Amino acid sequence: MRKSSAVLSALAVIVLGIAGCGSDDSSSGGQAASGTVCADTNASGDLLADICDAGEIRVSTDPAYPPQSSLNKDTGDYEGFDIDVATEIADRLGVDISWETPSWDVLTAGSWNGRWDMSVGSMTPTNDRQKVLDFTQPYYYTPAVVVVNEANTSVQDLTTDLDGASIGVCSACTYEQFLNKDLDIKGYSFDYVIDDADVHGYDTDTTALQDLALGDGTRLDAVITSLTTAQGFIDSGKPVKIVGDPVFYEPLSAAFDKSSPMDDTSLVDAVDGIVGDMHQDGTLTELSKKWYDGTDLTVQQ
Amino acid sequence: MSDREVIIRVENLHKRFGRLEVVKGVDIELHKGEVVVIFGRSGSGKSTVLRCINFLDDPTRGTIEVAGVRLTGGFRTRRKREQIRKLRLHVGMVFQQFNLFPHMTALDNVRVAPVCAGLKDNKAHAIELLDRVGLADKANEHPIRLSGGQQQRVAIARALAMRPEAMLFDEPTSALDPELIGEVLAVMKSLATDLHMPMIVVTHEMGFAREVSDRMLFFHEGVVWEEAPPEKIFEATEKPETRKFLDAVL
Amino acid sequence: MGDRLERLAVSSARIPFRLKVALVWVVIFAFLGFFFWVAKFDTDWMLDNFTFIAKGLQYTIYIALGGIAIAIVLALLGALARISSNPIAFGISGFYISFFRGTPLIVQMFLIYLALPQIGTNLHVQYPELFSRQFEDSLVLDPAVAGTLALGLNYGAYMTEIFRAGIQSVAAGQGEAADALGMTYRQKMRRVVLPQAFRVIIPPTGNEFIAMMKDTALVSFLGVSIQHAEVFRRAGLVGKADFKNLEALVLAAALYWGLTIIFTFFQRRLETRVSRGYVRTEPLRTAELPSEELSDLPPHGKGGGG
Repeated sequence: MRKSSAVLSALAVIVLGIAGCGSDDSSSGGQAASGTVCADTNASGDLLADICDAGEIRVSTDPAYPPQSSLNKDTGDYEGFDIDVATEIADRLGVDISWETPSWDVLTAGSWNGRWDMSVGSMTPTNDRQKVLDFTQPYYYTPAVVVVNEANTSVQDLTTDLDGASIGVCSACTYEQFLNKDLDIKGYSFDYVIDDADVHGYDTDTTALQDLALGDGTRLDAVITSLTTAQGFIDSGKPVKIVGDPVFYEPLSAAFDKSSPMDDTSLVDAVDGIVGDMHQDGTLTELSKKWYDGTDLTVQQ
Repeated sequence: MSDREVIIRVENLHKRFGRLEVVKGVDIELHKGEVVVIFGRSGSGKSTVLRCINFLDDPTRGTIEVAGVRLTGGFRTRRKREQIRKLRLHVGMVFQQFNLFPHMTALDNVRVAPVCAGLKDNKAHAIELLDRVGLADKANEHPIRLSGGQQQRVAIARALAMRPEAMLFDEPTSALDPELIGEVLAVMKSLATDLHMPMIVVTHEMGFAREVSDRMLFFHEGVVWEEAPPEKIFEATEKPETRKFLDAVL
Repeated sequence: MGDRLERLAVSSARIPFRLKVALVWVVIFAFLGFFFWVAKFDTDWMLDNFTFIAKGLQYTIYIALGGIAIAIVLALLGALARISSNPIAFGISGFYISFFRGTPLIVQMFLIYLALPQIGTNLHVQYPELFSRQFEDSLVLDPAVAGTLALGLNYGAYMTEIFRAGIQSVAAGQGEAADALGMTYRQKMRRVVLPQAFRVIIPPTGNEFIAMMKDTALVSFLGVSIQHAEVFRRAGLVGKADFKNLEALVLAAALYWGLTIIFTFFQRRLETRVSRGYVRTEPLRTAELPSEELSDLPPHGKGGGG
């Protein structure tokens, strides 16, 4: 029996070890560089102060979305447009960055329970989401495009040819809401050109695109996703093509948890200010051109 | 005999299993140094009487007294369970199926209960007991390597290790091949003659009964049908049922 | 046709069974290889990314070990509760088993990951004196920990049956002998019953561990970070990054399969080892010795008794 207790204790240590590893390595909270938000702020007792003290902001990302965010397996780091934007924001705040990778529906539902502080994940500030999340001003805009299998010839006019078709989208995404005609974003209106779509929800866009690539109408007739995702998929040699003009443009912002245990108001304001600065001084344009083939997506259309 | 100290007293014991009443009012007194043999048909309730004495079965009615401690049957609270446990320290039991612990050596089998009870010098005492039953050289063997007779002798040593004031034997040789019975009976006899250990023995071994017992109890229809010293039982029984049983067995 | 098969069976009778089975496996793998080739998997990509995905194996094993440890503790407590006469223990264990066998594992994982923090927050807000901030924080579990806990709770419920059967397989006489010797319940279980029960319990528990290693893949749905990413999570991450989901999944499947084969091999050896004490390898000593041993006993005669 003693031997068994030893084995049990060893296993308990392993479990606790994993638990211990759970908390990310927090860097020492040193003095933030001058000119950064943390150096200049007089916030206290709220989330911004907490982040400045810790010297680190925890950012969520979904590394299933090249070129917004994906894992570089050789370096073990994440890379992408969203990654660079978030890193720049952290720099201007004057803190280090660490990453969490929750699933998309957990992210958009709010109630993060303090597991991470900010999301820079190409999220659209729909009215529904604004109930549970606080958003900054948009840092870029993505055209949403229709993608069909390379062999398809029937889809030409987007206002008629897709009615009743089976269309794949990522679940809990704006593309799904567009198909369901309930995409509500304050200050924006949309022209719902597709009627009665047979909507198929997927965990991410790329899974939907894979099903589309199987064949025209095999599993899906079309997929609606962001231009950047579609382009990345096509560039990797898959047999799909974009049809027609973008069906809508959506603004994308950084998001924060409304129900965060600590007050996030000053943090949202600070990051909002940073995003504004990044628009003005051309940083965002530069990053956009880097990741999106020379296109500047940071300007509203 | 009545003025000898009573080690075990069973008063008006009844035991019912569901609807079936197996023991219908039994009184027994075991005195210091006495050997009592209980015999009778299989399934007549003899083993049940024994098992009620150390509360392996719970008496439906009646009182059990062991070494001065009196207990009755009934719901077992934590306190009652502890009382029963303490009672069991005074009386050892040897089972028909030996029930040795197969994952322990003979020595450990004998030692484990004293160790659990916090007694001292268990190893030496255990070896001494194994020696007494003639198995000192088998101390480090596991039960699976021992014959039935050897296992039962280890079981006797194991029961003795707790230094009980009395011993209960529940058909100790019924599961043994005939040629192994003798060695076990010999040990039991030596317990009586050398240690003067008070014993209640349920058995079919009439030779042993005649030789070693002070009193014999014929168990029939759930009660003690006849009770007498062995000479009287074998030569001049009073009840015809007793005679009938003896004729069948002998 | 039946006639042909007959003749084939007869003529091949001399070839040993094992060889025939090996032949069947060769043919199966030939088919698999063919399908592989026809499916035109990007084998270069697969070779490139194999190491990265394989690195997740250590976390797969850690999570499984953590889960099985929790499950064993719960199964033992549950089994003892199922055979106990204590109504509280019996009732709680019955509920635990029913719930964790009655709901899907993935649902349980999400509940622990998402619902616990919610409960903690609400309790803290409602009753701040009773439920401190620390209590609230402690319920916010890392995805890997939440997943491990869920695995432990889930498998513990199933393994309770195994443990209960194991304990009850120990002959009643063993417990009675321990009782008759005046052992306490705890001593009886620890020294007599459980050691014997474990002989019966260990082999099926080994099987549960092997199954659990596959179920660790579900943890990835909680969004485990790259630091603790096990095989399936890693496969998903690189598969999505390079649009090679299918190739990534094939690699993951191969890794799980290999893991299972290895552990099954060790599991079989464990089974034979554990049953060793109970299988007689030598004949039982016969009865020609008793008379010699009898003469070793101290001389006796009918002494004082009556």
